[in-house]
Amino acid sequence: MTEPLYYFIQQLLNGLTVGSTYALIAIGYTMVYGIIGMINFAHGEVYMIGSYIAFIVLAALALLGLDSLALMLIGAFAISMIVTSAYGFSIERVAYRPLRGGNRLIPLISAIGMSIFLQNVVRLAQGSRDIAMPSLITGGWSIGPEEGFHATLSYMQLVIFIVTFITMTALTLFISRSRMGRACRACAEDIKMTNLLGINTNNVIALTFVIGAALAAVAGVLLSLYYGVINPYIGFMAGLKAFTAAVLGGIGSIPGAVLGGLLLGVTEAITAGYFSTEYKDVVAFSLLILILLFRPTGILGRPEVEKV
Amino acid sequence: MNKATKHVSKLFAAMALAGMASYSVAADTIKIAMAGPVTGAVAQYGDMQFIGAKMAIEQINKAGGVNGAQLEGVVYDDACDPKQAVAVANKIVNDGVQFVVGHLCSSSTQPASDIYEDEGILMITAASTSPEITARGYQLVFRTIGLDSLQGPTAGKYIAEQVKPKNIAVVHDKQQYGEGIATAVKQTVEAAGYKVALFEGVTAGDKDFSALIAKLKRQNVDFVYYGGYHPELGLILRQAKEQGLNAKFMGPEGVGNADISAIAGEASEGMLVTLPKAFDEDPKNAHLVEAFKAKKEDPSGPFVFPAYAAVQVIAEGIQKAGSTDTDKVAEAIRSTSFDTPTGTLAFDEKGDLKDFSFVVYQWHANGTKTALGE
Repeated sequence: MTEPLYYFIQQLLNGLTVGSTYALIAIGYTMVYGIIGMINFAHGEVYMIGSYIAFIVLAALALLGLDSLALMLIGAFAISMIVTSAYGFSIERVAYRPLRGGNRLIPLISAIGMSIFLQNVVRLAQGSRDIAMPSLITGGWSIGPEEGFHATLSYMQLVIFIVTFITMTALTLFISRSRMGRACRACAEDIKMTNLLGINTNNVIALTFVIGAALAAVAGVLLSLYYGVINPYIGFMAGLKAFTAAVLGGIGSIPGAVLGGLLLGVTEAITAGYFSTEYKDVVAFSLLILILLFRPTGILGRPEVEKV
Repeated sequence: MNKATKHVSKLFAAMALAGMASYSVAADTIKIAMAGPVTGAVAQYGDMQFIGAKMAIEQINKAGGVNGAQLEGVVYDDACDPKQAVAVANKIVNDGVQFVVGHLCSSSTQPASDIYEDEGILMITAASTSPEITARGYQLVFRTIGLDSLQGPTAGKYIAEQVKPKNIAVVHDKQQYGEGIATAVKQTVEAAGYKVALFEGVTAGDKDFSALIAKLKRQNVDFVYYGGYHPELGLILRQAKEQGLNAKFMGPEGVGNADISAIAGEASEGMLVTLPKAFDEDPKNAHLVEAFKAKKEDPSGPFVFPAYAAVQVIAEGIQKAGSTDTDKVAEAIRSTSFDTPTGTLAFDEKGDLKDFSFVVYQWHANGTKTALGE
């Protein structure tokens, strides 16, 4: 009876692939929330822009006659991360910084406005239709017997795992070891006190947005390579799922965002695989409600300390 | 009149002079609203409908118009979104338009048609195939395309008699159109003695179907019917190929356009699709095909000619009724038949065509198709 096992492995791999990218996007939500207590609803759109830039870069490189896959990928990641970070930085500067310090709801509305704005800008600039590109990374490994059902791990899925792992490790090291990372953690703890200690909190907040956007760009590149299709509306659902992942893991906690993303991805795949694809989202969001009922701060979230 | 309203009225006067002059000669024009998706994931189907309707309007006007009046087409964008379709319908009412060619997506056409029927607006859809649209006893709702209840059995019969698969799965996108047609296919193949191994819905707009494909693979499915549109089926085809699922796929006309080949690439080769007859290949439409090509438009889309026919039916209906009173026009449309590029059209009491046939095509990776028979 190995067939059920391979089936389970296949669904687990499928879930972890989607989950990894949820996690990458979720970090953008969770870091911003951790520091300024605001939900950046335009973050899904930042991911969408990252995907478009990846598409444009790959198409441009292919047009220039570059045929090395590794160079194309590096180019796509580098340019997409840089340009998307610039977007993240500008969004914070234009839409959130002028509103900081007022009512918490105001930046939230501004974020929703920003999201609609970005979606429509891309729609007008790139058209509203699906844009597709051929698979660049094909093939994969079979796990299991030659005959009958066997699980497949495609090279693309492997690339997603590896890139996600490297990115997460780099982020963790940055936050725990570097000077700026320490400043980030200090801001998350008490932003007023950090300011009094002579750290420019405006820079730290801007950095948070830049990091979040860069990670969203990584997810954008990976997912556009994996699915091969993008349109200006992909940011909405991806943002919603990533936001759910962040809340599930405990908003404000980076390991929580990763855990939440993977958990959400696997839950979806298992539901679709063993029950019905129709109930995928129902089960995923029911899980969210259940966890929030019993652990209102999410899986790894800390209870909020009343700041005096 | 205070200062502000004076200002506004001046502005309107300027606008009217600056090109919106059609408002001032309203007596000599009959407006036809063309409602469908200009934006959104299925905008290319909207285009098919618009170019067909526009061509008909242009040619009718060139031939002297309708009872001395010229037709004027106005495009309204519903983005294939039921909420926006209702907003569009209300706007059409406010704009005083009496005739509508549209909408495209069944889920948009249905709520919009409630408003048209109430407000005495005559609507002909050239693309919505859901049977429910004409099943509510409405007097002013017509269509120049076949029904899912016709297309489903055509596909089902072909599967049962020609493909003869061992293990069938039927997947749909949970929308009115997709689920309706998928259900019809399921019933037809079951009636022919086949068992459907899997009947399941996916969410439109989803990008990841790997879990579903693993499931199909495990159940050794060798034939998948998909009720829905091309963005989802394109991704399913692509991911099925990557995961090594060896199955033949089939879909309704909602998947039959070149974009599916752009999305799925090689994986779209050999897919089966039911489409209305290729009217652009009919020799008696050669002059019309030339006219489209002269405008650099593609006449091969499944809704181009039905949309052309819809405008023609409205125009000849008005001519026959001798007025633009929609009740009289509807009566005229029901009581006669029309010689259009899609054949001789006659409507039944419900507003459906008395005769319409779908044909099974084999799709190719380069976006072309070959007919396999009815």
